[in-house]
Amino acid sequence: MPQSTDTQPLRVPRPPTSDPPWVRRGLIALAVLFLASFVLLPLVLVFAEALRHGLGAFVDALVEPDALAAIRLTLLVAAIAIPANLVFGVAAAWAIAKFQFPGKQILITLIDLPFSVSPVVAGLIYLLMFGAQGWLGPWLDEHDIQIVFAVPGIVLATIFVTFPFIARELIPLMAEQGSDDEQAALSLGASGWRTFIAVTLPNIRWALLYGVLLCTARAMGEFGAVSILSGHIRGLTNTLPLHVEILYNEYNFAAAFAVASLLALLALVTLGLKSALEWRLDSERGAAGRRE
Amino acid sequence: MDTRSVSTPRWRRRRVLPGFGLTLGYTLTWLALIVLIPLAGVFLKAAELGWSGLWAVWTDARVLAALKLSFGTALAAAAFNAVMGTLVAWVLVRYRFPGRRLLDAMIDLPFALPTAVAGIALTALYSGNGWIGRWLEPYGIKVAYAPLGIVVALVFIGLPFVVRSVQPVLSEASVELEEAAASLGASRWQTALRVNLPTLAPSILTGFALAFARAVGEYGSVIFIAGNIPYVSEIAPLLIVIKLEEFDYPAATAVAAAMLLLAFALLLAINLLQAWSMRHRAAVH
Amino acid sequence: MDIRIENLCKRFGNTHALDQVNLSLQSGELVALLGPSGSGKTTLLRSIAGLEFPDSGRILFNGNDALHLTVQQRRIGFVFQHYALFAHMNVLDNVAFGLRCKPRRERMSRAAMREHAQALLDTVQLSELGQRYPHQLSGGQRQRVALARAMAIDPTLLLLDEPFGALDAKVRGELRAWLRRIHDETGYTTLFVTHDQEEAIELADRIVVFNQGHIEQVGTPDEVYDQPCNAFVFDFLGRGNRIHGEFSADGFIPRGTELRLPARHAAGEGHILVRPHDYSLADAGQGLNGRVRSRRRIGGRITLELDVEHQPEVIELDLPYDLGPSAPQNGEHIGVVPTRYHVLD
Repeated sequence: MPQSTDTQPLRVPRPPTSDPPWVRRGLIALAVLFLASFVLLPLVLVFAEALRHGLGAFVDALVEPDALAAIRLTLLVAAIAIPANLVFGVAAAWAIAKFQFPGKQILITLIDLPFSVSPVVAGLIYLLMFGAQGWLGPWLDEHDIQIVFAVPGIVLATIFVTFPFIARELIPLMAEQGSDDEQAALSLGASGWRTFIAVTLPNIRWALLYGVLLCTARAMGEFGAVSILSGHIRGLTNTLPLHVEILYNEYNFAAAFAVASLLALLALVTLGLKSALEWRLDSERGAAGRRE
Repeated sequence: MDTRSVSTPRWRRRRVLPGFGLTLGYTLTWLALIVLIPLAGVFLKAAELGWSGLWAVWTDARVLAALKLSFGTALAAAAFNAVMGTLVAWVLVRYRFPGRRLLDAMIDLPFALPTAVAGIALTALYSGNGWIGRWLEPYGIKVAYAPLGIVVALVFIGLPFVVRSVQPVLSEASVELEEAAASLGASRWQTALRVNLPTLAPSILTGFALAFARAVGEYGSVIFIAGNIPYVSEIAPLLIVIKLEEFDYPAATAVAAAMLLLAFALLLAINLLQAWSMRHRAAVH
Repeated sequence: MDIRIENLCKRFGNTHALDQVNLSLQSGELVALLGPSGSGKTTLLRSIAGLEFPDSGRILFNGNDALHLTVQQRRIGFVFQHYALFAHMNVLDNVAFGLRCKPRRERMSRAAMREHAQALLDTVQLSELGQRYPHQLSGGQRQRVALARAMAIDPTLLLLDEPFGALDAKVRGELRAWLRRIHDETGYTTLFVTHDQEEAIELADRIVVFNQGHIEQVGTPDEVYDQPCNAFVFDFLGRGNRIHGEFSADGFIPRGTELRLPARHAAGEGHILVRPHDYSLADAGQGLNGRVRSRRRIGGRITLELDVEHQPEVIELDLPYDLGPSAPQNGEHIGVVPTRYHVLD
């Protein structure tokens, strides 16, 4: 009876596109080692050092008046910078994605410029404009307006470094989506504003949120640019990152890490929301691409 | 009455969607006020020095040392990231292991974490009695307060760029190419070297360039771990800050101008790279 | 090299991609694996190549077990459906790739490799295109490069996975003829997968008809076309109709006629299978009576569609084109009689 009574599994070689186990394990080990020493351990260390002297000391460091002031200032700056860039981002994306005009690519590159500028230089440029020796310096002095070494300067620097975030999230998405939906709305009698609010906004909400998220994370964490324009006046012109620096330079490590852990926590929340939104965004882009 | 429509000049052509003038105008105005004019200010101020003045600053020993240090450490860090980033991308895309998702999410931490936090954390980690530093100390490897520390910080900063550049290309890559190579007699190693790597080369290069551009101007994560000793471990952005504190605005501006020129050159290179790789990858399906 | 496949089984989840497949191939044959999508033909091809591994069964190359060999060791030339050319290498380097991968002892010199690759390009008639890159070639040209590349390693066996599927009709026709020529010149044992019966019939020495993981029939193109072993093979290999009627000891009587067609089958209701070109015209009233509902001329034949009394299906009938104007017109009533038919279940 020609029946196969082969009950043992066949001894076959490895599938052709897979690597030998020792290669796999070795590479995984190497990758984990690399990520652990450069990413994971620093993160863990922040929290470990923050809690080194116990929960009590941790909380004390955070509710200390200068720390609270730093928190308030950071939030204030973010609350101004983000909406400013939001308006800009939406306007720029609308102009670029829905219309044809010469020089579009150049405009996009210019909007991306702040990304390639060193934070210190970003601070410097406003110092040159509004500082005592700057162009508008004397005029500001006359009118008793303080921009550099004060909150307005910090806000400006933050706006600069977070400038492109929202625009560059919206532009590709809105370009892919085209203007069909808007044209349909217009043909039905909707006004421009109504079209924007009822048709465009819902289509871009996840990309918008994503851009706002990145913008927020960067706005709250910016150090170099703000450092130049801040007066480093404790309790007045120190954002959270600057406060960390001050504490650290005073060798008050526990407090420095305590405040730093707050920022690290913010970073982790950002990462979590980012992953969730990325998943959302991918399905949006997929849907946009499938439209005829 | 002539009811024929008059041909409208191009700039007056009516657009279907409203708001073009408003949004473009606002965009250009805001862009100019926040970005273009201030940046131009740097070059104008630098120009006040004249070419000889600029040259004098740029070739000053301390400035040169700082620029070379910023450039050199950024290059080293970006190169290290190019290798390790490709490896990490390969591992994340090709292999399954517990904790892979978590690791994948962690890659973006350098994007999200404030640079000052990264700075003090890395310093604590790699200093003589830090968790990692204490293992390296006996071998005489000094990371914190030395140029090596700068490289470590810049590796952290640039880590996501290569990984996130390579990952999509790797996951899109058709497994058929590897099967074809295997059917022609190539071992796994030969396949990786001759088929996978060339396919990934443009994205690795792009990631490298992005990491490099970011690292050159980095400040917050570096100044804690570097020794900040002039001529030895002082980066260019720090030099700018020091010059500003000394009220030597011309010198600060000159160094800033140099850094801006370098940044723009890199930006151009990256754009060209991306355009070239788009063309080269014309669908071969 | 001859190949023997014994009781091959492979499951993907709950589907049997291969279900007790047995097959023998002789050296130098050009064999087609024909069947609908998902019938298992590609799985068999890839199993022979070493790109898939069966759950049980044996594959023997010249009597030796091949399953323990890796794909690199099997020395088969595989041509993928979408060519899988290396985009970053030019045509010559693509073709020479397999030569460069050989271990040092067996490797030719650089110059010899280049010569060999160029000779292969000459064979596939792409002599001038050695320096071009894949994205600069047409689909047909890429296909030929893929074949040259597979032949470069002097394989014992050539496997092609739907080689012409991605090309347009005219190019497909040209490449089919060309592939047959190349095969005859080189003599490689060749196995190709297709879902196009015309392609299989035109090219192959033998056809293996697949359905749902097992082989329905193996035979020459004439054998599987003229002597299908079951209704599936009949339907897949060409056009045809079912004529319904009654079987008895006397034979088969199509419904609504007085025709008696010799046939051997258990008594009762049933049908016979008839190809469109296996009818002859009779006068109206004799044989199957029908009204012409459409008349199309396609190349060298005229195809009529008939509404036949008492028959549920519309019957397709081919007549030679040179019948010309005397061929039945739309709306005419005619009679037809099957001259050849199959009794299959």
